[in-house]
Amino acid sequence: MSENNLLEMRQIEIQFPGVKALDKVDFFMRPGEIHSLLGENGAGKSTLIKCLTGVHHKDAGTIILDGKEIQPQSPQHAMEMGISTVYQEVNLCPNLTVAENIFVGRQPMKHGQIDWRTINRRARELMARFRMDIDVTRPLSYFSTAIQQMVAIARAVDVKAKILILDEPTSSLDDNEVQLLFDVMRDLRAEGMGIIFITHFLDQVFAISDRLTILRNGCLVGTYNIQDITKVELVTQMVGKDMDAIFNLKRPDVAPGTPDRLTATHIGSPGKIDDISLNVREGELIGFAGLLGSGRTETAELLFGVTHLSHGTIVLTGIGENAKQKGNKKIKNPYDALTKGLAFCPEDRKRDGIISDLSIRENIALAVQARKGFLHPMSRREQNALADKYIAELGIATPDAEKKIGELSGGNQQKVILARWMATDPRVLILDEPTRGIDVGAKAEIQRLMLEMCEKGVSIIFISSELDEIIRCSTRIIVMRDRKKVAELDGENCTQEKILTIIAEGAEAAGGVA
Amino acid sequence: MKKKIDLTQLLRSKVTWAIVAEILVLLVCLIARPDFFSLKIQEDTGMLYGNIIDILNRSSEITIIAMGMTLVIALGGTDLSVGALVAVSGAIALKFMRWDVAEYITPGDYSVKPYALALLVPLGVCTLMGLFNGFLIAKGGMQPIIATLILMVCGRGIAQITTDGRQFTTKFTPFYRIANSSFLAIPMPIIITAVVILLMWLFVRKTAFGTFVEAVGINRNASRLSGINAQMVIFIVFAITGLLSGVSGLIYSSRIMSNDSNNAGLNFEMDAILAVVIGGTSMTGGKFSLVGTAIGSIIIRTIVTLVYYFGIASEATMAFKAMIIAVVIVLQSEPVSNYLSKRARNRAKLATGGVK
Repeated sequence: MSENNLLEMRQIEIQFPGVKALDKVDFFMRPGEIHSLLGENGAGKSTLIKCLTGVHHKDAGTIILDGKEIQPQSPQHAMEMGISTVYQEVNLCPNLTVAENIFVGRQPMKHGQIDWRTINRRARELMARFRMDIDVTRPLSYFSTAIQQMVAIARAVDVKAKILILDEPTSSLDDNEVQLLFDVMRDLRAEGMGIIFITHFLDQVFAISDRLTILRNGCLVGTYNIQDITKVELVTQMVGKDMDAIFNLKRPDVAPGTPDRLTATHIGSPGKIDDISLNVREGELIGFAGLLGSGRTETAELLFGVTHLSHGTIVLTGIGENAKQKGNKKIKNPYDALTKGLAFCPEDRKRDGIISDLSIRENIALAVQARKGFLHPMSRREQNALADKYIAELGIATPDAEKKIGELSGGNQQKVILARWMATDPRVLILDEPTRGIDVGAKAEIQRLMLEMCEKGVSIIFISSELDEIIRCSTRIIVMRDRKKVAELDGENCTQEKILTIIAEGAEAAGGVA
Repeated sequence: MKKKIDLTQLLRSKVTWAIVAEILVLLVCLIARPDFFSLKIQEDTGMLYGNIIDILNRSSEITIIAMGMTLVIALGGTDLSVGALVAVSGAIALKFMRWDVAEYITPGDYSVKPYALALLVPLGVCTLMGLFNGFLIAKGGMQPIIATLILMVCGRGIAQITTDGRQFTTKFTPFYRIANSSFLAIPMPIIITAVVILLMWLFVRKTAFGTFVEAVGINRNASRLSGINAQMVIFIVFAITGLLSGVSGLIYSSRIMSNDSNNAGLNFEMDAILAVVIGGTSMTGGKFSLVGTAIGSIIIRTIVTLVYYFGIASEATMAFKAMIIAVVIVLQSEPVSNYLSKRARNRAKLATGGVK
């Protein structure tokens, strides 16, 4: 036994079919520390956590908690031993009250009946400890996501946890809420609890953690004290290659007089977008900036035929040489859009992108096959060639093309969806938040791919909530606010301050920009 | 290395377990009655005769329907109307062949004038009814189980109205041959079933239709955004299921040379769903296996035959069926197959002399 570690995970190995998810990983944690766990998507962070919480069972290695070896069998079992987890999505019942949510499954009883008074009093005390003065008898859905997150943490903490795992707790919080969460985390640390903190936001890692552990490709890279590592070193360690080359991106320049490829004039649909006009030139990358709900996605859906166009026209020029020529028929549905050389990578990967139980090969070939129609099937050899080509080209991390897409990490799923559309050889590619929820390395990779495609003459419409990546990549930027296009910026005008001012102008919610 | 992976995959495959189950049930039959597998050629008809042939023959109505049901379930739905469509198909066919009206037959020789209509009209009507189901689901956005409930309930009513609530009989030989003749000593229903399975397999696996069905079944939204016409896929699948129910109905009524609006196809929807599930297709939709379904259907019939053959009271058939099906489904379940494939992997490791 080494010096008083609260948790020791030694030489953990987990084997998934065809891939070693964790290879001899060590993870040590002292009492009263906030320990960040970092790595790209697919590096093994969640696998390590799931091993600790009993979701996955380790194939080798030992877990020692408080000096005793443990074998967590299920999340329930792990929780009884003092390992509590708060997941990214809030796992509570929105229709129950805050107090009920905190005590559900372990209600204090009195005379054979649930003791509501105690429940409500203790819930109030608990929330007060989190510096929150809220009415605990209101249903959870009444409160904001941030407060719901706090309730989830309160519930996790109240079960006498020794270790608290926070998996991406800040992804849906704004800055003030993040500060509040950090205060709570510091309080808990002072009480001697060990907190494992998983996040994609590197600033937050440096703001709150004491130590950090980096994983890469299922292997341990190292554990560092926070003061011994710089941000650049950290990213380099996570990605495993030099970041300079990746971040040295040149935004695509379009010579004046380049013809338009897509021109939309006063298009709209009731309840979605009233009236928007835009044009995209050959090889151009148009960035769409604006808050969530500002009409960015709605515009993309109009262009791709997902939503019915009620007025306005969309004209595509010079398109159709590699697709079934359909004349200038109106785009009525995604199939029409596809045959005319449009492609659309939707925002919600899980809901609108991946076909989880199909293989990578089938997922990549899907759009090409849809364009051909089912009566003209692609041979297995064609499909394999297509899949292998994009697996190599985009660096999709998988043992082979037959793995189910649902088993891949988020970043790799995104690459497969991207491959699905690149395979259709689009002339206009619409990307809606292609970099959301994926790590730095994969983000840079996707940005590089976009710019490469622009160079080959593909026009790209790029929607993102992250201003810096929009600014870095776009030829022109369209700023959306309240379902209207409020500005179009190019060249020198594309600065963060300018865009933020435009987004905020007249609206009071300027602080909410992510 | 390659072989090891194949073994674990084989153990995970649900079709494997369906085959194992069928073999086990047959073994029980063999042990109890060594002559269970005996086959002989009937003198008068030149047809093969025996328990195995009987199982295949009698399972054909369900197998044919279950081919369509497989696609419906792969889409994430269920079709409850198939049994009623069997009744409709039989009723319409018999309407054309009723031998008590001079309009349809030449008196005395029992031949039916527009014989083609007696086959094509029922099949056409059943296809249309399938399209009606598809319309409610694809365009109306109804849940398949609710949408098909409509025809399940009113289908038998339609059958009754078609025949004025009467039971017609026929003696028309070409119709009799559908279920009661043989080709190369093999009973005709088995041939028809084999052809249906083959055509369906070609249709779903040699075109991209099967992949489209799976894609829509797993994630309809994403499929639509990828350019798949999900509504058309739904229409086609339900139309096929309607058509196949019609085929099944013709075989059924050819067996009894009559129509029976009350009992024809009774509970066929349940047996078809069971066959699909035993065959390894998940009720939540997605990946499907036509071969698995065919085996599932044969298992169901084997169990029924076994019960009859051993003189177990027919009231107990259901309980018996449930028992064996429960075992099959448990064997196929995720935890069990994971456990078994893990064990197989460990054993393979030992066998190759792994030291770890």
